[in-house]
Amino acid sequence: MIELTAAVLVLVPLVGGGLAWVLPADGSRRVAAVAMTVTAVVGLGLSGVCFGLGAIRAFGGLLVLDALGAYVLALTVVVAALAMAASPRYLRHELESGALRALDEARYYALLLWFLAGLVAIPLLDNLGLLWVAIEATTVVSALLVGITRTPQAIEAAWKYLILGTIGLGFALLGTLLAYASSVPALGETSEALAWTRLVAVAPMLDPNMLRLAFLFALVGYGTKMGLVPFHTWLPDAHSQAPSPISALLSGVTLNAALYALVRFHLVAIGGLGEGYSSTLLIGFGLLTIAVALPFMVAQGDLKRLLAYSSVEHMGILALAIGFGGPLALLGGTLHMGLHSLAKSSLFLSAGELVQQYGTPRLARLRGALGAAPIAGGAFGTGIVLLAGLPPSGIFVTEFAIVLGGIQRGHVLAAAVAALLLSLAFAALAFHGARLIFGQPQSTTPQGGRGRWLAIRLAVPLAVVALLGLWTPDPIAAALDAVRAILGGTHG
Amino acid sequence: MSLDLATAAHLLDACASGIVVVGVLIAGTRSIGRAVLLLAVQSIFLALAAAIVGASTGTGHLIVGAVLTLATKGIAVPLILGRILRGSPVRFERRPYLGRRSSLIVAILIVFVTTAAIDGAALGRSLDAPRALPAALAEVLTGLLIAMTRRKGLSIVIGLLVFENGLALTAFSLTYGMPLVIELGIAFDLLVAIVVVWVYARRMLATFGSLSTDELRSLRG
Repeated sequence: MIELTAAVLVLVPLVGGGLAWVLPADGSRRVAAVAMTVTAVVGLGLSGVCFGLGAIRAFGGLLVLDALGAYVLALTVVVAALAMAASPRYLRHELESGALRALDEARYYALLLWFLAGLVAIPLLDNLGLLWVAIEATTVVSALLVGITRTPQAIEAAWKYLILGTIGLGFALLGTLLAYASSVPALGETSEALAWTRLVAVAPMLDPNMLRLAFLFALVGYGTKMGLVPFHTWLPDAHSQAPSPISALLSGVTLNAALYALVRFHLVAIGGLGEGYSSTLLIGFGLLTIAVALPFMVAQGDLKRLLAYSSVEHMGILALAIGFGGPLALLGGTLHMGLHSLAKSSLFLSAGELVQQYGTPRLARLRGALGAAPIAGGAFGTGIVLLAGLPPSGIFVTEFAIVLGGIQRGHVLAAAVAALLLSLAFAALAFHGARLIFGQPQSTTPQGGRGRWLAIRLAVPLAVVALLGLWTPDPIAAALDAVRAILGGTHG
Repeated sequence: MSLDLATAAHLLDACASGIVVVGVLIAGTRSIGRAVLLLAVQSIFLALAAAIVGASTGTGHLIVGAVLTLATKGIAVPLILGRILRGSPVRFERRPYLGRRSSLIVAILIVFVTTAAIDGAALGRSLDAPRALPAALAEVLTGLLIAMTRRKGLSIVIGLLVFENGLALTAFSLTYGMPLVIELGIAFDLLVAIVVVWVYARRMLATFGSLSTDELRSLRG
């Protein structure tokens, strides 16, 4: 039963993508909607089973879904469903304005489904090699989506993404190879030696020098994919040039997927080397990432690049939380990961609406959005306030927990620097957000962006982000705690 | 299939040396066509290396890996790159960030440094080929050198593939290859990545009229 469910989860988008590729645009849209719905329902069901009954194993141990995987999977399907729901409206506008060719609509849905197939496979695989294969596959497919409009900027962004992503992931492969080699004395030459569950179990017996190198290369490789400075340079280009629903997926899901892969290496590393090595690296890169993203947010002139740099910043916060360790920072990091996904994907979708309506992503020309587009503008304004971490946003609570957790664990200086940087990032987002929402609108701005459905799908994720700052229902609290326990290295 | 371990080790070292020499030549050429040809030669050496390790240690899936390497990197990828090159007006790397002579010197330095750093690293394996791992890491670095110092899109992709060859040699020599399903996955990913590069190379030609990354300067800050 579990085997069948897991197979359905990956095969439905995979086969659906093939169908969508050959069908005309209307058919491909319907196929995509059906495949997306099935994947979302099955994915959430599988996550629910995992949270209720404990870790799931299938296909002779090839597939393992623990609480961390289930959490990443649930976020993946939720954000993907939001992106899918926004796609028809977004594409209609792009087709009408001539930015997209009619043929590309079917291709968009096909690529979206293949992208989804790779993304849902990532948290299921108990094999660092196949995990790498799935992540590289998502990179290649999403590179095609980034450049689908064929504008010079989109081609440039996609090219950089493809080349830098492949180089980065090459390092991740090297890390995977070294992790495998480090286990040969303990496990022999078997394919089990790539199963992270086995690696964690025998971590103290792994060759420490190889393990150190393995983590370092994994950090460079998956760090490139999740946008850690200095490997982030492709990210603002790709996330800003992609069609907005794809931007939502890239920022809300693929960054989590890369972080997920890195966390698996981190857990093996703390098992084999103790807390010091990988945690220190994560704290260092986390702080550097936040610090470098900040000035680019302050001086940003492009709406979607602002959101992209904010994603870089938030990945820095997550690296910091995992590096700090300890129950408080890890619980904060766990919730932060989910809230960032929801808030950022909703923001990219409302930003997409605004960019289409104003016909430009230039912040200098985006003014008075609340008046010009009440729904998208209102959602964007609310989202930016929540993302910046104004209390009672859940993101305020999680950032507070991470900083406090860092102090508890003795990283007082790092936590203090992080607190300072986070308050500056808050100011940067608030500054840009306020001008965009309330500024003087241009008289030529067309009125538009209505519809109840638009309001619902933009507002619901934001409502969750706001609510979770005030009150966490028991099942969600239990689920978050289960994820936190895994991040802390205590399995079971 | 069996091959005397001592002979196999010598053969593997010979292949590794071949790979390194070809890598230096790629770093030292300005003709993109010649670089594609050299890349094919390097991939054939790599396939040979995989076959030798497979035959001597009895790891059958490495033979499959060797065939895959030959089919993808040795034949399919150079053919695709050749097609892109024929459609492109640019055949030479005119003004690389690092000139031909300097690239050559740096590439040779890389070989010396990696050899000095991990020469004969005791891996405690049955196959004692001390050149393989230094050669693998030399190619990883040479690939990065090429990818970072060239301006033309195709040259960058060639650097990327040299880098990938280094990774593959690391896999063969360090771990006797990954399990087959992963080898298959990696080969598939690589092929798809090259096809996507092809797609974008055509779009860049159509949009910018060249494959020069000098055109890619609009996204900043």
